Amino acid sequence: MPPSASTNLGYTPPDGGWGWPVVFGAFVSIGFSYAFPKSLTIYFKEIQKYFTVSYSEIAWVSSIMLAAMYAGGPVSSILVNRYGSRPVVIIGGLMVGVAMIAASFGTTIMHLYLLVGVIGGFGLSFNLQPSLTIIGKYFQVKRPMANGLAMAGSPVFLFTLAPLNQFLFDHFGWRGAFMILGAIVMNCCVAGALMRPVDIKKAPKDPDTATDRATTGTEGSTEGIGSLEAGGLLGDTEPQQRKGGFADKCLDLSLFKHRGFIIYLVGNVVMFFGFFAPVVFLAPYAKGIGIDNYQAAFLLSIFALVDMFARPGTGLIANTRWIRPRIQYFFSFSVAYNGVCHLLCPFLADYMGYAGLVIYAVFFGVAFGMVCALLFEVLMDLVGAQRFSSAVGLVTIIECGPVLLGPPIAGFLVDVFHDYKYMYWACGVMMLSPGIFLFIMNYFNYKRLDQEEREKQSGASGMVTLSSVEETGAVEERKEEEIFDKSGE
Amino acid sequence: MFSPWISSLQLILIALFWRGIFTVSLTAGTVPLLDSNVPQTLSRSAVITGDSLVEKVEILTPIDLQLSCTCNANPNKLPNVTGFWRKDGIEIDNSRLTVLLEKEQYNLKREFSIDGDNLGNYSCVFYVGDKESRIDFYLTAPEMEGKQDKPVIAYVGDSVTMACKIKHLPNAWIWYKANGTQQELINATTDPLHYKMVVDGNATKLTLKNLKELDSGVYICSAVYNIKASVKQMEVRVISFMEPLKPFIAIVAEVILLVTLILFFERWGSKKSDDLPAENMIPVDQLDKLTQDDNNGMGESNARQRNV
Repeated sequence: MPPSASTNLGYTPPDGGWGWPVVFGAFVSIGFSYAFPKSLTIYFKEIQKYFTVSYSEIAWVSSIMLAAMYAGGPVSSILVNRYGSRPVVIIGGLMVGVAMIAASFGTTIMHLYLLVGVIGGFGLSFNLQPSLTIIGKYFQVKRPMANGLAMAGSPVFLFTLAPLNQFLFDHFGWRGAFMILGAIVMNCCVAGALMRPVDIKKAPKDPDTATDRATTGTEGSTEGIGSLEAGGLLGDTEPQQRKGGFADKCLDLSLFKHRGFIIYLVGNVVMFFGFFAPVVFLAPYAKGIGIDNYQAAFLLSIFALVDMFARPGTGLIANTRWIRPRIQYFFSFSVAYNGVCHLLCPFLADYMGYAGLVIYAVFFGVAFGMVCALLFEVLMDLVGAQRFSSAVGLVTIIECGPVLLGPPIAGFLVDVFHDYKYMYWACGVMMLSPGIFLFIMNYFNYKRLDQEEREKQSGASGMVTLSSVEETGAVEERKEEEIFDKSGE
Repeated sequence: MFSPWISSLQLILIALFWRGIFTVSLTAGTVPLLDSNVPQTLSRSAVITGDSLVEKVEILTPIDLQLSCTCNANPNKLPNVTGFWRKDGIEIDNSRLTVLLEKEQYNLKREFSIDGDNLGNYSCVFYVGDKESRIDFYLTAPEMEGKQDKPVIAYVGDSVTMACKIKHLPNAWIWYKANGTQQELINATTDPLHYKMVVDGNATKLTLKNLKELDSGVYICSAVYNIKASVKQMEVRVISFMEPLKPFIAIVAEVILLVTLILFFERWGSKKSDDLPAENMIPVDQLDKLTQDDNNGMGESNARQRNV
């Protein structure tokens, strides 16, 4: 097993106990973050009529919200690093709630852009990052399972929010619905309240803290010792760092020198171009080949239902002792599997019509769920729970581009070729190539990590230089714990 | 609307009187466009190979319409069969004819004078042996696009917009408000503070401003054609802001309650484990229990420090 980067927390995560309510809190938070922007589209037609704007103008609300959610990533990471997950999630929940309530009194479309789009989007980003981060703080052994369960929040919430929104709209119109949605989204504060900081005093000490500091060094992050969110391994340098540069202090930009992180980033950026477009265009594709509205909508329901179960299922599989050590390969496989699904989709549709698309929806549901469940787990596995907060912030803001550009580019392909199958093939290639890329690059990465581990364990000279670190470290240990407590995690 | 088992459908347009020239090339499934005020004769013809076929015809202006039906002779080519016409299911008097076999087909034609009063379902029926084959022609005024089966919710003091759209350009658009069985005409020019009406070719929008509770009700938009007016009903419900406020307050209360409970439970839980070492007034026999609970308890729950 490669040296797991996650054991440099300084304590052994509970892997249970209060961890499960935390997973539930993360489930709620993540559910709102992903499902809320998508479910608002139900109100667009009525709002469009009310403000007399075109469809593209109203669609901007959704786009701005999604963009703000991704752009808010680094800000969210900085706040989590400084204050911990709980306050950030609670503030995020309040932000979205107040924004929606204010939007219910809005008189122009600009109000909606600002309130629902910008403030709402930022509030949701304050929910997403901390939820993912805190799972890494509470779980180590069962982390893939916990991640899979938490990520299942997205399809479950989408499934429930869609009919709920329709119900609210029928009974209260869009204004009343926005107000009530503002209250409903404040339940994120409840989720945040559950995200109790890990009690460092109670948690059993990690027996290998000394060797773990060495591990941090060999992971390629030579600046890791100086970065604040590592808890300040050397207590005396820590106050100095507080007055240091903004970027170094709050966000670990040294991640860009981290081999695994770069591999992950490159693979993901390409992948996200083709990730969401097939979902967006599934119903129009079905209608295009002659399937009626209800059956086309039913395809999406099948997809969402399969996704819902695929995520915890993938978490369970990823947790097994055969997969866990080589989880990067599992992730590469799931990305490539997505690509294969898309490449085969037009053939299924042509030869089997609706039945073919149903089969595609099932397999794609599994593929989508697999990738989503593993998306953040593999990042945690690569950079470690300590630096995960910064990593996820950087990843989301860089992925912002492909996520937002993907569907419009796909739509452009459809317009140019007047056929959906070229778009599906393009998406297939966009997913298959990063899958293969990740597979190959992770093979090399694993080899290098194993090599470094062997060097570290066999190198006796390595222990001598670290002993001085160990001594000062032991004295500062109690100080460290207090710092942990103050920062929350 | 169009039976899948019909293999071919041909449409022949014969105009006896017309102003100007217009040619319409129609394929199966389209509805003829008749927009001249001069009476015309339109012929619709259909070939049936199955049992029945339905044909929808939208009529804009009173017209003399010739409907013709053709029935393919089945294997046993009878020299003559009975054919007649029905309107809305009832046989039309004196319409029974004996149809002769011509080029392996039976033809039935009849002219109808269609105006606003006698739109409906006209059928030509062939009795071949004892089997009935028929074609139904649904003659109607143009239908509005979209359906509004759910009421539109709006708030007191706010405004609401209703829209109607239709395929063929009407002579005029009129809006009504239903008042029991009566229909009140809505005149936007006499009441500009309350109503705003916009007409844009074959679409129209009515905006109700400064809503009050008694503005609730059914609104009817009417597209006027020579033959008849085509209507659509929409219901508006005006509610006060108090209505969504009730579930809103309930949910906010639930959130506050849960957050308080969770934080309180956490505070109480941590206080329980923190209190024990700080408690100095403990009997000696409970010392053992203390030391098991917390390591820190060892130093402070010393019998010597009891009288603090």
